[in-house]
This record gives sequence, C-alpha cells and structure tokens, in this order.
Amino acid sequence: MDIITGLLTTAVLAGGVLALAALGEVICQRVGVVNLGVEGLMALGAVTAIAVTISVPNPSVGFAAALLVGLCFGMVFAMATVLFRANQVLCGLALTLMGTGLAATVGRAFSGMPAKATFQPVIVPYLSDIPILGPAFFSQNILVYLTFIILPVAIHYLMFKTRHGLNMRAVGENPGAADAAGIPVLAMRFWYVSLGAALAAGAGAYLTLAFVPSWSDGIVAGRGWIAVALVIFARYRPMNVVMAALLFGLITALGYVGQARNWPVAPALLGMLPYLGTLCFIIVPVIVLRRMRQLPAAPAALGLPYFRDVR
Amino acid sequence: MNFQYSFSRRRFLALSAAASSSLIMPGWVGKAGAAPLAAIKEEDAIIAFGLTGPVSDEGWNTKQNEGAKAIQAAFPKAKTLVVESIPFSADASRTFRQFVQEGAQMVFSTSNYGDFFASVVERSPEVAFLEADGRRVADNLGWYYAAHWHPTYVLGVAAGLLSKSGKLGFIASFPVPMAISSSNAFMMGARSVNPSATLQVISINSWFDPQGANQAASALIDNGCDFLFGVMNEASYLQVAEQRGVRAAMWSSDMRRYGKNAYVSSIIPDWTAFYVDQVRKRLEGTWSGGGQTLLPLGGGIDRDAWGETVPAEVAAKADAVREKIIGGWSPFTGEIKDTTGAVRVKAGETLDEVALYNWDWSVEGVSGLST
Repeated sequence: MDIITGLLTTAVLAGGVLALAALGEVICQRVGVVNLGVEGLMALGAVTAIAVTISVPNPSVGFAAALLVGLCFGMVFAMATVLFRANQVLCGLALTLMGTGLAATVGRAFSGMPAKATFQPVIVPYLSDIPILGPAFFSQNILVYLTFIILPVAIHYLMFKTRHGLNMRAVGENPGAADAAGIPVLAMRFWYVSLGAALAAGAGAYLTLAFVPSWSDGIVAGRGWIAVALVIFARYRPMNVVMAALLFGLITALGYVGQARNWPVAPALLGMLPYLGTLCFIIVPVIVLRRMRQLPAAPAALGLPYFRDVR
Repeated sequence: MNFQYSFSRRRFLALSAAASSSLIMPGWVGKAGAAPLAAIKEEDAIIAFGLTGPVSDEGWNTKQNEGAKAIQAAFPKAKTLVVESIPFSADASRTFRQFVQEGAQMVFSTSNYGDFFASVVERSPEVAFLEADGRRVADNLGWYYAAHWHPTYVLGVAAGLLSKSGKLGFIASFPVPMAISSSNAFMMGARSVNPSATLQVISINSWFDPQGANQAASALIDNGCDFLFGVMNEASYLQVAEQRGVRAAMWSSDMRRYGKNAYVSSIIPDWTAFYVDQVRKRLEGTWSGGGQTLLPLGGGIDRDAWGETVPAEVAAKADAVREKIIGGWSPFTGEIKDTTGAVRVKAGETLDEVALYNWDWSVEGVSGLST
C-alpha cells in the first residue's frame, strides 16, 4: 500500500475512536454538562461489544448493545448531575473510575478472546477509486462513515439549523432564560447527557469491533481524556471536532511512520507530536488571526447545575 | 506489556552502571555467599507474589500466576498470596510491606519495582526476596530472569527464511536492555540466513497500548516489512499482520487463535520449575540470598509450537539452531558490529549471559532503537 494512503487509513481508523467519543461530549457540553466519565464509558462500551458479539456474532448487535449500556450509565450520571445537581466533575471522575473498574471485572471472562465478529470494510463505488484519498476514506467500515460523515452532519444540522437546536444551545448558555421561555431545561439536559454517554460507549465498541478486535484491561489507554480535550480544542462544534480528531489521528500516525522510515528524531519526541501539534494548533491561530480571540468559547452555563428557585 | 522496566532516569542510571561494571558475576547462577535463612515447616509457609497486571492478561502475569499455582500444587499445606496490578509507585512498597506483615517468609516480585521494592527488602532481613529482572542482590535478595535472547535468535532464523522483502519490523516499548537484547538477537538470527536483512524498530512508549501497537504495525507494513516481532503482551499487531497478509511472532503465550495464518511462534517463559525449586530450598533451610539466575533455553524459556503456515523445512532449520544452542553453542560470538559499523565484539569473543542481559547497544542492521 502507498505510504500516504497507509498513513491516512490508520489516521482515519484511530481518529474515529476519538471523533465518536468527542461528538458525544459535544452534545453533552452544549447543554451545559461536563461529562468526565468518557474514559469509563468507553471501557464499558468496549467490553460490552466483545461480550455481546461472543454470543451473537453480529457487530451491529454488539454496537447497539454498547450504545444501550452507555445510555443506561449516562442516565445514572444525568440523574446525579442534572436532577440531583451533584458536582459534575466529581460525578464524572466517579463514572470513569467505576466504568474502568467494572469493565475490568466483567472483562476478565473475555480477555484473550478475539472478537467473534467485526465491522468489515464497505467500499463506496467511484469514490474509492480516487487516488491516494479513495482507499483511505472510502474503503473503511460503516462505523467510520457514521462517525465522520453521517453523525457530524446530523448533529450540526440539529444544533445550528433547527429551533430545537437553538433551544438546546440556550439551555447550555443560560438555563434560567431558557426556562423562562418555556424550554424544559432538566429534560433537555437529562436526555442529551444520556445520549452523549451512549456515543462515548459507542466509541469503545468502535475500538473493539473495528480497530483492535479483542478486549484487554486498559485498552482505552487514556483516549477518553483526549476526546474531552478535543472538544475544547474544537470549540464545541461537531464539524470541528471531527476534523480535530482526524488531525490528531494523523499526527499520531505520522509519529509511527516517522519511526518506521527512520527519521533522525528521537522516538520519545515523535511520541510527543500529537500533543505538540495540538498546542501549536491552539496557539498559532489565536496569535495570527485577531478574530479567533473573540470567538465565544465554552457555553456560558457549562458545569453549573441549574436551580430553578435560585436566581 | 507489563514487562520489566519502569523507565525512569534513576533506573536508566542504575542500568548504565550495571552494564558498565564488571563486578556482576557471569554465568547462569551467580554467587550465593550469604548464610542460608532458617528452615520453615510447610504448614507455616506463606509465599507471596506481586504482579504488575491482571492474571487474566494472557501474557506475563498469566505465566507468573501459573508459577504460583505450581507452588501451591507442590506444597499443598503452604499458603500462597497473589496480588495483581501493583502500580509502579509507593503503593508497591505498601503491598510488599503488607506481605511481610502477613507473615510471608518468601516474596516474589515479578517485575523490577526498583527502590519501592528495595526499601522493603532492607527492612526485612528474615524474609527471602526474589526479583524478576532485578540487578541488585543482598543477603536476603536474589534476581532471576530468562535468557530470552536464545529462543528469540531461533525465531530470527525463521523470520530470515520466511521474509521475502528482507525487511523485518519490531515493536518495542522503550529503548531498554530487554528490548535491545530482544531486537538484536532477532536481527542476528535473521542475518545468519539472510545477510542483507534489516530490522526496523518502533518504540510505542508503553508496555501496553494495543491502539499504539496496531498503528505501529500498520506503519511498519506500509514501509515494506513482511515479518513483525515485538515485546508486547497482547495480540494487536498479530491481528494487523493477519489482515495484511504478513507474518508475526509474539511474546508470552500462544496467540495463534488471533491470526492462524500470520502466527509463526512465540517466546514462552515457564517459571514453574524454578519457583518450586526456590520454595523447596526456602522450606528446607538451604535458600540464601545473592542468587542470580537466567533460565536457559529449554529450561524455563522456549519457542512455542510452530504456526500452521510455517513450512516444515523452515521449522527444521530453525530447530536445528535451537538444538545447537541447547548443546552449548552461543550465537552471540564475534565479530559483532554495532549500527555505526564499529566492531564491538571481536572475532572469537563471546558475549556472556550477563552482558546479554544488560545489552545497551544495537547490532548492525537494526535501526530505530539506539545508536
């Protein structure tokens, strides 16, 4: 395979894990809730997908089961943070610890078993014939298309082109005003937080069904935290999040290609590339483009529980 | 893979010092100068194991746990304690101290926990300690490891015969002696049958990161490598090799179910005989500190049964080399050049086992790990 095609292929596959988790986090943060439980949800999703495909060898069933498990844990998290107004950071950390621990315990029975069913590449006619780009972007599995095309477009449309999306953003910016306007703040937050958590678990299932097809404890290896960081880096926009994840995947893959081609750079430095790259991509545009400084960053009510009676 | 090294500056300095010092005694089993510790009755015996990861990892820790089980089977009245997933932090000290408080008379540290372990060893002179991949000895402390470079050389011979492109790939964790000796032995084995073979190493800066190993494997294959080896404890690069139609050799356990066409063999340690022997000595009152043990090929470390796509003549040629090594021949005999082409081992000289254990330079043909 051509070296650039190979680079892009792994970048898309690796970036997809981050993109899916980060899309879930965008939904969650846009309604004003920080979910730091992504790492734990990914672990749960990964182990669920493996466990389910062992009894039902169909990757779609495994993926759906992971979404469902994510939804359930998301509802528990939303109940604590949205309905009972507990501290979001603490609950998120608890969810990460519980998720990774529970996944490790449940996963004991499944470690060392290859995934019984995985998503196979679906080749898009015509588009996959484009030189260099075609094989990397249009000969991937269905989850890649879902993550890079279908979901971001759908979420972008929902958030920025519909009345419902406007309401959603209002809940994240100023829940008091939204409430006064008759938007069901708590219901909105509850369901979008749960949905975001489902996508995070879906990212875990992506990991074990399409990328590294087996379960082992620690398989997520910190990618959940990177997904949370990417959301901030991408300024809470679904399209940007996907591009940021792809960029991150590309720079990571570049580090390995650099080692494989024996560039005269220390491996430790090449391993740092994604983080150095992210820093550059955050700092440089802000310095170069004046306009970037004025862009609104986080939703104004991010991280704050909503109390109707305390204004 | 939860191997042996936490790569810290202090650790690196200690290793460099060990490598450059000639004070360490050569040989399979080093000095045992101290007075033996007193005998224990079997029913009073408590043997403790500190593990780096879960016993279900299908790799290093599974094998260590098999050792613990073998002890339990051999001495049914004794009690064994196994603690999994001990982090490389002050928690390690706490765990080892706990073993001592619970009355353990013998403690196995299945990885090198450095000073976290040493501090407990110093305070408990009546307890016998054994450290895998250790470098230090004391009156109550010995170290042990396996001479993995010998079976690795055998796999290298097979790789040299099986590779069409002559480009081999290696997925390492960090540039530490374990990875260096492993890649060197693999390269020397391959070059013994294909003098133009080369080995490209990628360090993924982790002992366990399936996603990283997966990407590293893709990068190596894209670059023309058609045989992968590494020091990872999991099968992700084997799965990539299977998908891409190249071959791979593994570490720690039989992983052929992850890729039956790609699987060539694996380096498999077996600690059971050594552990049972050490415990027996401790119970009899003949165990003493200072032991330095490297389990030999065929006696604690070996290759796995060949994969089903390995041609019989390749297996036969590699096995002939294996027999020769078991018979006492060392493949690590000069002239050996380093990556700059300088002769590091003169013709006729042989690197001894401790020098191989502490190997800190790459041989000619290996790129990416160290100079």
